[in-house]
Amino acid sequence: MIKKTFKIPDMTCSNCAMKLESLEDSLEGVREINASYHRLEMVIEYDESKLTDEQIVAAVKKKGYQAIAA
Amino acid sequence: MSKQQQKKNTLNPVMIVSLGVVFVAIALVLLVLKPGVQSQVLSTGSGTWSQLVVAFITGITTGGLSCLAVQGGLLASSLAHQIEQDYVGQNANRKQRQNVAVRPNSAFPIFLFLIAKLVAYTLLGALLGWLGSYLTLSPMTRAMLMIAIGIFMIGNALRMFNVHPIFRYFSIEPPKFITRYIRRTAKGTDMFTPLFLGALTVFIPCGVTQAMMATALGTGSAAIGAALMFAFILGTSPVFFIVAYLTTELGAKLEKFFMRFVAVVLLVLGFVTLDGGLNVLGSPFSFQNLTRSLFPSESSSVSAAPLVLAVEGELTLQVRNDGYFPVSLKAPADKAFTLNLVTDQTYSCARDFVIPALDYYQLLPDTGTVQVNIPAQKPGSTLFFTCSMGMYTGQIVFE
Repeated sequence: MIKKTFKIPDMTCSNCAMKLESLEDSLEGVREINASYHRLEMVIEYDESKLTDEQIVAAVKKKGYQAIAA
Repeated sequence: MSKQQQKKNTLNPVMIVSLGVVFVAIALVLLVLKPGVQSQVLSTGSGTWSQLVVAFITGITTGGLSCLAVQGGLLASSLAHQIEQDYVGQNANRKQRQNVAVRPNSAFPIFLFLIAKLVAYTLLGALLGWLGSYLTLSPMTRAMLMIAIGIFMIGNALRMFNVHPIFRYFSIEPPKFITRYIRRTAKGTDMFTPLFLGALTVFIPCGVTQAMMATALGTGSAAIGAALMFAFILGTSPVFFIVAYLTTELGAKLEKFFMRFVAVVLLVLGFVTLDGGLNVLGSPFSFQNLTRSLFPSESSSVSAAPLVLAVEGELTLQVRNDGYFPVSLKAPADKAFTLNLVTDQTYSCARDFVIPALDYYQLLPDTGTVQVNIPAQKPGSTLFFTCSMGMYTGQIVFE
């Protein structure tokens, strides 16, 4: 398991954080996601053998946001 | 039957239900807020009445869209799961997750969601108003609260405009365990789910709702707080219902446009609230006091004041439903006098008369005269007076 932080510059409210955290339920290999609108970032803890950075960025994009690895 | 025909057919009940909800909402608000039907607290103050109307209008114009942007995803998620479940029951080989907008059976869950939301926020309004009653012990406390609410509203509006990252802290982030719990509950497929989710939305209020909650706190009354939140959420319901039913999620472009609109309204409401707070504080820097000093118009000019100096040592101020007349009085400096406050079937908040500098607060009778002893003041000084909500103001200039 590794923990990575992604900057999400286009969050507009705290609901965006909730939307991003819902990836916990759909993205395989994710243990926990903590997104913060105040900090415009998402901290994701995941199994790197099951999930790649590219897949995370793509999943975030599907939710309507841009993710940049911090 | 083609897809287009199917879509056309399903829109009719949508429009009927939507219009029904709009009319029911309007009828309910008229019934609940009708002066004759209200409690004594509400009926005796048209200031409260106008506050409720403003709350309803805010709800129907901006609140619905703002709430939908924050809570719509939750509802859509719940509906999607529910409809998917229905659909899987009918056709095990096909999946339909997104097309929730035009299915007629999604109206009832949305309705349940909104009813639960209305009840929950009304109770929350009562709780906030009750809590506020411990904070509104004096006009001064109320003024401070109004100023804080105004700053909160303006901060939220500036956050929506993305003026500076610091304004993001005006948005309250609900605790993670709550959002996680709500998200997982949204996967339920029974009728209880939208009902439960509707009630849980109190934990994820949008910016406009947060501002309205702060206003409910400022009312200092459980009844008015509940009525205020009821009026606001009732106002949000038709828009929420229609948009949720037709699209379940706003397009990104549309959402951006609506958020700008919401931000502008919030900014205006914020400045109005802040100005009201400054008035109750007796500040010469409130918009009304400042403009009166800088640009004295004919109606508010001190030159109109000598007309009321008929009796030596006494000044008379007419307290009417639409404010104080004259709004600017002239009085001799270094000399105490009596101010006669005359009401004649006055039911507005103008009755809640405040002179902040003298720490004077009095709820005037709806008809009658109340005398106030004004101590001697220095030449060139100004004594501001206002209603307890900071809506109606005036001044006494000492020369």
